[in-house]
Amino acid sequence: MVAAALARRLERLLGPDGVVRDPTALRAYECDGLTSHRQVPDLVALPRTAQEVAAVVALCAEHGVPFTPRGAGTGLSGGALAAEGGVVVATTRMRDILAVDPANQRLVAQPGVTNREISAAVARHGLYYAPDPSSQVVCTIGGNVAENSGGAHCLKYGFTTHHVLAVELVTPGGEIVTLGSALAESPGYDLRGVVVGSEGTLGIVTAVTVRLLPLPEAVRTLVADFASPAAAGEAVSGMVAAGITPAAVEMLDALAIEACEAATSAGYSLDAGAALIVELDGPAAEVEAEFAAAERICRDHGAARVRIAGGAQERELIWKGRKAAFAAMGRLAPAYLVQDGVIPRTRLGAVLGRIAELASEAGLRVANVFHAGDGNLHPLVLYDADVAGEAVRAEELSKRIMSLCVDAGGSITGEHGVGVDKACDMPRMFSEEDLAVMARVRGAFDPDGLCNPGKVLPTPRLCGDRPGPYRPHPLEEAGVISQW
Amino acid sequence: MVTEAAPATLAEARDAVLGGGALLFAGAGTKLDWLPPARACDTIVRTAGLRRLVAHERDDLTATVEAGMPLAELQRELAGAGQWLAVDPPLAQAGATVGGVFAADDAGPRRLRYGTLRDQVIGCTVVLSDGAVARSGGRVIKNVAGYDLMRPLCGSHGTLGLVTELTVRLHPLPERAVTLRAAAGAHAAAGLALRLLGGVAQPSAVDWTDDTVWVLLEGRGAGLMQRAESVRRAGAALGVHLEELDDAEAEASWAVLRELPAGRPGETVLRAATLPDGFGDLAIVFERAAQRSGLQVALHSHVALGLHTARLSGGTAAAHTGLAGVWREAVAGLGGTPWLRRRVGGVALPASDTPAAAGLMRRLKHALDPDGRCGPGRLDWLEAA
Repeated sequence: MVAAALARRLERLLGPDGVVRDPTALRAYECDGLTSHRQVPDLVALPRTAQEVAAVVALCAEHGVPFTPRGAGTGLSGGALAAEGGVVVATTRMRDILAVDPANQRLVAQPGVTNREISAAVARHGLYYAPDPSSQVVCTIGGNVAENSGGAHCLKYGFTTHHVLAVELVTPGGEIVTLGSALAESPGYDLRGVVVGSEGTLGIVTAVTVRLLPLPEAVRTLVADFASPAAAGEAVSGMVAAGITPAAVEMLDALAIEACEAATSAGYSLDAGAALIVELDGPAAEVEAEFAAAERICRDHGAARVRIAGGAQERELIWKGRKAAFAAMGRLAPAYLVQDGVIPRTRLGAVLGRIAELASEAGLRVANVFHAGDGNLHPLVLYDADVAGEAVRAEELSKRIMSLCVDAGGSITGEHGVGVDKACDMPRMFSEEDLAVMARVRGAFDPDGLCNPGKVLPTPRLCGDRPGPYRPHPLEEAGVISQW
Repeated sequence: MVTEAAPATLAEARDAVLGGGALLFAGAGTKLDWLPPARACDTIVRTAGLRRLVAHERDDLTATVEAGMPLAELQRELAGAGQWLAVDPPLAQAGATVGGVFAADDAGPRRLRYGTLRDQVIGCTVVLSDGAVARSGGRVIKNVAGYDLMRPLCGSHGTLGLVTELTVRLHPLPERAVTLRAAAGAHAAAGLALRLLGGVAQPSAVDWTDDTVWVLLEGRGAGLMQRAESVRRAGAALGVHLEELDDAEAEASWAVLRELPAGRPGETVLRAATLPDGFGDLAIVFERAAQRSGLQVALHSHVALGLHTARLSGGTAAAHTGLAGVWREAVAGLGGTPWLRRRVGGVALPASDTPAAAGLMRRLKHALDPDGRCGPGRLDWLEAA
């Protein structure tokens, strides 16, 4: 329990409206986008400046209280879940764009500015910020830095780490440091590169310098209907072989199409086994030529129908359908789990086939929505918590799919992060030694272990008394209990 | 007595590092004189024996390669599949290895379009001085599991550990390239670079030296020609009249431009990063001082990146030191960052400023190399305090 003394000192620092203590109000912070994990923080601090963040962190350190940074709370791995008895430091009141340099294509923002607001702020200069997670309307740049967010267009443009040039960080020791710079090079180790994607465990980012890009001259989008995801996957391979790098390639399987169509009426074909969204952008003449080639490749690979977006409005609608996919699952089942495994793109057909087998063995439905260009799968395991045992079976199936991705040479997470959700799964991908070295890196930033504890790395407390590769419990082997 | 180790396996590399005392890691050794010599060195661990192409997943556009493989050799392998590792640093012809380019975070003109290896490495294996072997990343392009150790290792000049293997993202070889060239002063070149950055041309490189600017475009078909036309128009509006080079001349030009920032023995090489719009002013201030110095001075810039190099030769060490000071001041005055990449004997200046977050960096160094055995003295700022 956070000591009353700490609460009082925080209130003196931030003012009464800068600290949330009311139990009802605190409930708003009990989880992020991964609602299956909940922990009401003892207190939420709402600083406005880097100096205030540093002071909050220093006070927490002095009182030995763990703290967790939080942006908009849209994360999908429980990265913003409060520590037990801990403080949440939310960037809600750090919403200013601090500097814009259109000529050099740089922008500096406080962490609470949303992803979309950055692009909106520079649109009149013909510029935009490239990473575009589906939650971009609400998710913050600070959260994007923490999670190294991707998005549909990262196939061509890369991830947050490719676009964030510098961060101002309040270290867990309460020091304010600038990592990286707006310039092409800066002296010393690239700690910016460690902090991006560190899920709020190495400090709290208080300012972010991003690189902006000129808006593409042309954007063309099509939706091609295929008999199966495997056939659509072949078409993607065909494009890669032809040297085409689409801005985005997304796939929806039949179940996902059904849900998205019901939710958004975006015009997807309900009789297709898979819908492939292909978007190209860039200089007009090249986009036209490559778009024609992409369309031809889709048809050559058996696309029954190719719908070409007639203009910006239709393209928006297509994307609205795709980006609403997770939310739309409510149309199919009362609950779902989303998995975020990555596979080498070329293994797509085989892995999807195996996922279907696993789903049918478990007696559950799995809808697939994914970034087909980079092999980042988002299998949505549908279930009904009111049916006895179904939630447990869903969790098991979801984890099995994740293991399948690792076995195929991939990753347990492509963009949602490890957080609290997959900390215990890290040994599936990394050796004990790998993880020990990561822990040394963490210790260099946070020797006292107060910054967002329990995330990213497995701990004995979190994952059972022995760290290391997963070993089934004897009772589990006997079929008496199950792990998840 | 300095011993040499040339491990051929990960296990041998681990042994060499564990028992090697003060360590200096080297690939082909082409960039060793870019930093001050090691304060102490018991063992030079050379990666020449670690030079296998472990995997080339051509359909996934990824490759896993041992650190000691010469970059040029890797590029030849990949070219057979119509692909390349999109980095064009100097010294590749001199044998620069993938691991060495990574450790120095070096790149060439086409960094403008593709970034450096930092942007393209998706996995790595590192041996730490205490024998720990750690992997970071993986073999897929998209992956956010665990801390990114690749980026701090990139550019660490072998002071955190020995990188033995890298997995990289590949790019298709561009179908065609067009190079445009024009006479242009530094101000005009910087103006052109800024225009191109904001336009549709998507240049792969914009380099300047000797009052001449070169623009490289890559792509295919009519689109490429239209972009070339847009570059010409942008230039004409600034009084810069660009002409297309034939392929042979273009290739020869880039081969020279690529090597310039590396410098040569007998030269002091000053390096700087500024915002792209800072180059014109830097060039004016520096060239004026250069004329007075009596040294031979050649200025080069990746203009659109804001990365500049000045090579000094002739004269005395004192004159080199003096002009390096002018460079420093001019760069700092523009909000930029100066470096000293190479120095002739007698030039005793730090290689770089102390980074703003040096304290945190020292803690990372200590966490990974607690006894300070990896490249002691190579990063002078690390030693202070």
